Amino acid sequence: MTVKIRFFARFRELLGTDILVEKKSGTMLATLVKDIALEKKEGYDAIFDANGNFREFVIVMRNGKRLEPAETATVMVADGDEIAVFPPVAGG
Amino acid sequence: MLSERELERYKRQILLFGEEGQEQLKRAHIFVAGAGGLGSPVSLYLAVAGIGAITLVDNDVVELTNLNRQILHYDRDIGRKKTVSAEEKLREINPDITVKVIDTTIDETDVDRLVGRADGIVDAMDNYPTRYLLNETAVRKKIPFFHGAVQGLYGQATTIIPGLTPCLTCIFPTAPPKEVFPVVGVTPGLIGMVQATEVLKYLLHDGRLLTNRLFIWDGLESHAEEIAVERNPACPVCGEISPVKPPARKKK
Repeated sequence: MTVKIRFFARFRELLGTDILVEKKSGTMLATLVKDIALEKKEGYDAIFDANGNFREFVIVMRNGKRLEPAETATVMVADGDEIAVFPPVAGG
Repeated sequence: MLSERELERYKRQILLFGEEGQEQLKRAHIFVAGAGGLGSPVSLYLAVAGIGAITLVDNDVVELTNLNRQILHYDRDIGRKKTVSAEEKLREINPDITVKVIDTTIDETDVDRLVGRADGIVDAMDNYPTRYLLNETAVRKKIPFFHGAVQGLYGQATTIIPGLTPCLTCIFPTAPPKEVFPVVGVTPGLIGMVQATEVLKYLLHDGRLLTNRLFIWDGLESHAEEIAVERNPACPVCGEISPVKPPARKKK
Protein backbone atom coordinates (compact mmCIF):
# COMPACT_ATOMS: atom_id res chain seq x y z
CA MET A 1 0.00 0.00 0.00
CA THR A 2 1.07 3.55 -0.61
CA VAL A 3 0.85 6.41 1.86
CA LYS A 4 1.78 10.03 1.25
CA ILE A 5 3.54 12.08 3.90
CA ARG A 6 3.48 15.84 3.73
CA PHE A 7 5.80 17.85 5.95
CA PHE A 8 5.26 21.57 6.36
CA ALA A 9 7.45 24.60 7.05
CA ARG A 10 10.63 23.77 8.96
CA PHE A 11 9.85 20.06 8.80
CA ARG A 12 9.69 20.28 5.02
CA GLU A 13 13.02 22.08 4.86
CA LEU A 14 14.59 19.26 6.84
CA LEU A 15 12.85 16.25 5.36
CA GLY A 16 11.23 17.19 2.06
CA THR A 17 7.55 16.73 1.36
CA ASP A 18 4.99 14.75 -0.62
CA ILE A 19 6.94 11.61 0.17
CA LEU A 20 5.32 8.44 -1.11
CA VAL A 21 5.97 5.44 1.10
CA GLU A 22 5.34 1.79 0.29
CA LYS A 23 4.45 -0.09 3.44
CA LYS A 24 2.85 -3.33 4.36
CA SER A 25 -0.61 -2.96 5.82
CA GLY A 26 -0.85 -2.79 9.58
CA THR A 27 1.81 -0.12 9.96
CA MET A 28 1.12 2.38 12.72
CA LEU A 29 1.08 6.02 11.78
CA ALA A 30 3.79 7.06 14.24
CA THR A 31 6.08 4.28 13.03
CA LEU A 32 5.64 5.33 9.44
CA VAL A 33 6.52 8.97 10.11
CA LYS A 34 9.39 7.94 12.35
CA ASP A 35 10.94 5.75 9.64
CA ILE A 36 10.93 8.62 7.18
CA ALA A 37 12.15 11.19 9.71
CA LEU A 38 15.04 8.94 10.77
CA GLU A 39 16.66 9.61 7.42
CA LYS A 40 17.81 12.90 8.83
CA LYS A 41 18.61 13.27 12.52
CA GLU A 42 17.83 16.96 12.63
CA GLY A 43 14.42 16.33 11.11
CA TYR A 44 13.71 13.48 13.50
CA ASP A 45 14.72 15.56 16.53
CA ALA A 46 12.50 18.42 15.43
CA ILE A 47 9.44 16.18 15.37
CA PHE A 48 10.06 13.52 18.02
CA ASP A 49 11.21 13.75 21.61
CA ALA A 50 13.85 11.61 23.33
CA ASN A 51 11.26 8.88 24.01
CA GLY A 52 10.32 8.67 20.35
CA ASN A 53 6.93 10.34 20.82
CA PHE A 54 5.66 13.19 18.69
CA ARG A 55 6.61 16.43 20.37
CA GLU A 56 3.52 17.84 22.09
CA PHE A 57 3.15 20.91 19.88
CA VAL A 58 3.41 19.01 16.58
CA ILE A 59 0.17 18.83 14.62
CA VAL A 60 -0.51 15.51 12.91
CA MET A 61 -3.33 15.18 10.43
CA ARG A 62 -4.59 12.11 8.64
CA ASN A 63 -6.66 12.86 5.55
CA GLY A 64 -7.44 16.33 6.87
CA LYS A 65 -8.44 15.12 10.32
CA ARG A 66 -6.40 16.00 13.37
CA LEU A 67 -4.99 13.21 15.54
CA GLU A 68 -3.88 13.50 19.13
CA PRO A 69 -0.15 12.78 19.45
CA ALA A 70 -0.94 9.75 21.63
CA GLU A 71 -3.36 8.30 19.06
CA THR A 72 -0.68 8.14 16.38
CA ALA A 73 0.93 5.12 18.03
CA THR A 74 -2.25 3.06 17.75
CA VAL A 75 -3.75 4.29 14.46
CA MET A 76 -2.99 2.14 11.43
CA VAL A 77 -2.44 3.81 8.10
CA ALA A 78 -4.42 2.65 5.09
CA ASP A 79 -3.69 2.64 1.38
CA GLY A 80 -4.02 6.11 -0.11
CA ASP A 81 -3.81 7.92 3.24
CA GLU A 82 -2.32 11.37 3.30
CA ILE A 83 -0.46 12.25 6.49
CA ALA A 84 0.40 15.88 7.21
CA VAL A 85 2.89 16.89 9.91
CA PHE A 86 3.02 20.54 10.80
CA PRO A 87 4.82 22.76 13.34
CA PRO A 88 2.88 25.78 14.60
CA VAL A 89 4.86 29.01 14.42
CA ALA A 90 5.14 31.51 17.26
CA GLY A 91 6.56 34.80 16.04
CA GLY A 92 4.80 38.08 15.53
CA MET B 1 -23.18 59.61 10.44
CA LEU B 2 -20.24 59.95 8.11
CA SER B 3 -18.85 63.43 7.50
CA GLU B 4 -18.33 64.83 4.01
CA ARG B 5 -14.67 64.24 4.50
CA GLU B 6 -15.20 60.61 5.49
CA LEU B 7 -17.50 59.99 2.54
CA GLU B 8 -14.67 61.22 0.33
CA ARG B 9 -11.89 59.40 2.18
CA TYR B 10 -13.65 56.05 2.04
CA LYS B 11 -15.30 56.58 -1.35
CA ARG B 12 -13.64 53.63 -3.06
CA GLN B 13 -14.51 51.14 -0.33
CA ILE B 14 -18.01 52.50 0.16
CA LEU B 15 -18.47 51.11 -3.35
CA LEU B 16 -17.86 47.74 -1.71
CA PHE B 17 -19.45 48.07 1.72
CA GLY B 18 -21.99 50.86 1.25
CA GLU B 19 -22.31 53.83 3.61
CA GLU B 20 -24.01 51.59 6.12
CA GLY B 21 -21.00 49.26 6.15
CA GLN B 22 -18.62 52.16 6.55
CA GLU B 23 -20.67 53.38 9.51
CA GLN B 24 -20.41 49.91 11.06
CA LEU B 25 -16.64 50.15 10.78
CA LYS B 26 -16.72 53.63 12.30
CA ARG B 27 -18.71 52.38 15.31
CA ALA B 28 -16.27 49.50 15.88
CA HIS B 29 -13.55 49.26 18.49
CA ILE B 30 -10.70 46.84 17.85
CA PHE B 31 -7.98 45.89 20.30
CA VAL B 32 -4.59 45.19 18.72
CA ALA B 33 -2.21 43.37 21.06
CA GLY B 34 1.29 44.29 19.96
CA ALA B 35 2.83 47.00 17.77
CA GLY B 36 5.50 44.82 16.17
CA GLY B 37 5.69 42.78 12.97
CA LEU B 38 2.01 41.82 12.84
CA GLY B 39 0.65 44.79 14.80
CA SER B 40 2.20 47.27 12.37
CA PRO B 41 0.44 46.24 9.17
CA VAL B 42 -2.75 45.25 11.01
CA SER B 43 -3.16 48.61 12.77
CA LEU B 44 -2.16 50.63 9.69
CA TYR B 45 -4.73 48.93 7.49
CA LEU B 46 -7.46 48.96 10.13
CA ALA B 47 -6.76 52.68 10.56
CA VAL B 48 -6.98 53.53 6.86
CA ALA B 49 -10.10 51.38 6.52
CA GLY B 50 -11.79 53.63 9.06
CA ILE B 51 -12.17 51.41 12.14
CA GLY B 52 -13.55 54.06 14.49
CA ALA B 53 -11.50 53.18 17.55
CA ILE B 54 -8.25 51.28 17.74
CA THR B 55 -6.52 50.42 21.00
CA LEU B 56 -2.92 49.36 20.56
CA VAL B 57 -0.85 47.93 23.40
CA ASP B 58 2.91 47.38 23.52
CA ASN B 59 5.59 47.72 26.16
CA ASP B 60 8.68 47.84 23.97
CA VAL B 61 11.09 50.43 22.70
CA VAL B 62 11.89 50.65 18.97
CA GLU B 63 15.21 49.02 18.12
CA LEU B 64 17.16 49.02 14.89
CA THR B 65 16.64 45.25 14.51
CA ASN B 66 12.84 45.82 14.45
CA LEU B 67 12.90 47.92 11.34
CA ASN B 68 13.07 45.14 8.74
CA ARG B 69 9.44 44.35 9.47
CA GLN B 70 7.78 46.68 11.97
CA ILE B 71 6.66 49.23 9.40
CA LEU B 72 4.93 51.53 11.90
CA HIS B 73 8.36 52.55 13.14
CA TYR B 74 10.95 54.55 11.23
CA ASP B 75 14.68 54.97 11.61
CA ARG B 76 14.12 58.22 13.49
CA ASP B 77 12.05 56.35 16.10
CA ILE B 78 14.90 54.20 17.42
CA GLY B 79 14.88 54.54 21.21
CA ARG B 80 11.29 55.82 21.39
CA LYS B 81 8.45 53.83 22.89
CA LYS B 82 6.63 51.82 20.26
CA THR B 83 3.33 53.19 21.51
CA VAL B 84 4.46 56.79 20.96
CA SER B 85 5.77 56.02 17.49
CA ALA B 86 2.66 54.04 16.58
CA GLU B 87 0.24 56.67 17.80
CA GLU B 88 1.98 59.35 15.74
CA LYS B 89 1.86 57.31 12.52
CA LEU B 90 -1.72 56.14 12.93
CA ARG B 91 -2.97 59.66 13.72
CA GLU B 92 -1.15 61.02 10.69
CA ILE B 93 -2.37 58.35 8.34
CA ASN B 94 -5.98 58.82 9.46
CA PRO B 95 -6.95 61.72 11.73
CA ASP B 96 -10.62 60.77 11.35
CA ILE B 97 -10.40 57.83 13.75
CA THR B 98 -9.63 57.49 17.46
CA VAL B 99 -6.35 55.85 18.37
CA LYS B 100 -5.53 54.91 21.93
CA VAL B 101 -2.14 53.50 22.79
CA ILE B 102 -1.21 51.89 26.09
CA ASP B 103 2.39 51.35 27.07
CA THR B 104 2.22 48.29 29.26
CA THR B 105 2.75 44.55 29.45
CA ILE B 106 -0.38 42.51 28.94
CA ASP B 107 -0.75 40.14 31.89
CA GLU B 108 -3.52 38.46 33.87
CA THR B 109 -3.89 41.43 36.20
CA ASP B 110 -4.74 43.98 33.53
CA VAL B 111 -5.91 42.14 30.42
CA ASP B 112 -9.63 42.50 31.20
CA ARG B 113 -9.39 46.22 31.74
CA LEU B 114 -7.11 46.77 28.74
CA VAL B 115 -9.42 45.00 26.31
CA GLY B 116 -12.39 46.77 27.88
CA ARG B 117 -15.45 46.72 25.64
CA ALA B 118 -13.60 46.16 22.37
CA ASP B 119 -15.50 44.30 19.64
CA GLY B 120 -12.56 42.01 18.90
CA ILE B 121 -8.94 41.24 19.71
CA VAL B 122 -6.20 40.98 17.10
CA ASP B 123 -3.37 38.66 18.10
CA ALA B 124 -0.18 40.46 17.12
CA MET B 125 1.92 38.92 19.87
CA ASP B 126 5.21 37.08 19.54
CA ASN B 127 4.69 34.51 22.29
CA TYR B 128 2.12 31.88 23.25
CA PRO B 129 1.70 32.65 26.97
CA THR B 130 0.25 36.09 26.13
CA ARG B 131 -1.71 34.61 23.23
CA TYR B 132 -3.34 32.11 25.61
CA LEU B 133 -4.21 34.93 28.00
CA LEU B 134 -5.82 36.96 25.21
CA ASN B 135 -7.62 33.84 23.98
CA GLU B 136 -9.10 33.27 27.47
CA THR B 137 -10.14 36.91 27.62
CA ALA B 138 -11.84 36.70 24.23
CA VAL B 139 -13.67 33.55 25.33
CA ARG B 140 -14.76 35.17 28.60
CA LYS B 141 -15.97 38.33 26.87
CA LYS B 142 -17.42 36.35 23.95
CA ILE B 143 -15.65 38.45 21.37
CA PRO B 144 -13.64 37.20 18.38
CA PHE B 145 -9.91 36.58 18.52
CA PHE B 146 -8.04 37.00 15.25
CA HIS B 147 -4.97 34.78 15.54
CA GLY B 148 -1.82 35.15 13.49
CA ALA B 149 1.79 34.00 13.88
CA VAL B 150 4.88 33.97 11.69
CA GLN B 151 8.33 32.53 11.42
CA GLY B 152 10.71 33.03 8.53
CA LEU B 153 8.62 32.76 5.39
CA TYR B 154 5.92 30.71 7.13
CA GLY B 155 2.75 32.00 8.69
CA GLN B 156 -0.57 30.86 10.09
CA ALA B 157 -3.88 32.51 10.87
CA THR B 158 -7.36 31.61 12.06
CA THR B 159 -10.45 33.40 13.31
CA ILE B 160 -11.75 32.31 16.68
CA ILE B 161 -15.38 32.99 17.57
CA PRO B 162 -16.04 31.77 21.12
CA GLY B 163 -18.77 29.14 21.21
CA LEU B 164 -18.67 28.68 17.44
CA THR B 165 -15.10 27.67 16.65
CA PRO B 166 -12.22 26.03 18.43
CA CYS B 167 -10.30 28.45 20.62
CA LEU B 168 -6.53 28.82 20.51
CA THR B 169 -6.11 26.20 23.25
CA CYS B 170 -8.24 23.69 21.30
CA ILE B 171 -6.01 24.15 18.27
CA PHE B 172 -2.65 24.44 20.03
CA PRO B 173 -2.92 22.79 23.45
CA THR B 174 0.85 23.03 23.79
CA ALA B 175 2.91 26.05 22.79
CA PRO B 176 5.81 25.53 20.43
CA PRO B 177 9.19 26.21 22.05
CA LYS B 178 10.22 29.81 22.51
CA GLU B 179 13.09 30.88 20.27
CA VAL B 180 14.48 33.91 18.53
CA PHE B 181 12.67 33.46 15.28
CA PRO B 182 14.02 34.50 11.91
CA VAL B 183 11.59 36.72 10.06
CA VAL B 184 11.41 38.94 7.01
CA GLY B 185 8.82 41.72 6.86
CA VAL B 186 6.80 40.32 3.98
CA THR B 187 5.56 37.40 6.11
CA PRO B 188 3.93 39.40 8.94
CA GLY B 189 2.78 41.76 6.17
CA LEU B 190 0.90 38.94 4.50
CA ILE B 191 -0.44 37.28 7.65
CA GLY B 192 -1.37 40.69 9.10
CA MET B 193 -3.43 41.34 5.97
CA VAL B 194 -5.25 38.05 6.44
CA GLN B 195 -6.07 39.08 10.03
CA ALA B 196 -7.14 42.62 9.06
CA THR B 197 -9.34 41.25 6.27
CA GLU B 198 -11.00 38.96 8.80
CA VAL B 199 -11.66 41.89 11.14
CA LEU B 200 -13.38 43.83 8.34
CA LYS B 201 -15.46 40.83 7.25
CA TYR B 202 -16.48 40.14 10.83
CA LEU B 203 -17.56 43.73 11.44
CA LEU B 204 -19.37 43.93 8.11
CA HIS B 205 -21.00 40.47 8.46
CA ASP B 206 -19.71 39.76 4.99
CA GLY B 207 -18.06 36.80 3.29
CA ARG B 208 -16.93 33.54 4.85
CA LEU B 209 -14.70 33.92 7.88
CA LEU B 210 -11.55 31.89 8.46
CA THR B 211 -13.40 29.94 11.13
CA ASN B 212 -12.81 26.27 11.96
CA ARG B 213 -9.82 26.29 9.64
CA LEU B 214 -6.19 27.13 10.08
CA PHE B 215 -4.67 29.03 7.17
CA ILE B 216 -1.05 28.08 6.58
CA TRP B 217 1.19 30.10 4.32
CA ASP B 218 4.47 28.80 2.95
CA GLY B 219 6.21 31.74 1.33
CA LEU B 220 9.12 29.64 0.07
CA GLU B 221 6.74 27.58 -2.02
CA SER B 222 4.19 30.36 -2.53
CA HIS B 223 1.67 27.87 -1.35
CA ALA B 224 -1.29 28.32 0.95
CA GLU B 225 -2.94 25.43 2.68
CA GLU B 226 -5.77 25.16 5.13
CA ILE B 227 -6.46 22.48 7.64
CA ALA B 228 -9.77 21.88 9.33
CA VAL B 229 -9.71 22.43 13.10
CA GLU B 230 -12.33 21.36 15.60
CA ARG B 231 -13.48 22.32 19.07
CA ASN B 232 -12.20 20.17 21.88
CA PRO B 233 -15.26 19.42 24.06
CA ALA B 234 -12.88 18.93 27.01
CA CYS B 235 -11.01 22.18 26.36
CA PRO B 236 -10.14 23.80 29.71
CA VAL B 237 -10.74 27.26 28.22
CA CYS B 238 -13.83 27.01 26.02
CA GLY B 239 -15.23 23.52 26.67
CA GLU B 240 -18.00 24.94 28.88
CA ILE B 241 -19.21 27.53 26.38
CA SER B 242 -22.42 26.47 24.71
CA PRO B 243 -22.56 26.65 20.95
CA VAL B 244 -23.73 29.91 19.45
CA LYS B 245 -25.36 30.67 16.13
CA PRO B 246 -22.98 31.88 13.45
CA PRO B 247 -23.08 35.65 12.94
CA ALA B 248 -25.72 36.66 10.43
CA ARG B 249 -24.32 37.11 6.98
CA LYS B 250 -25.24 40.13 4.93
CA LYS B 251 -27.84 39.41 2.26
CA LYS B 252 -26.65 40.11 -1.25
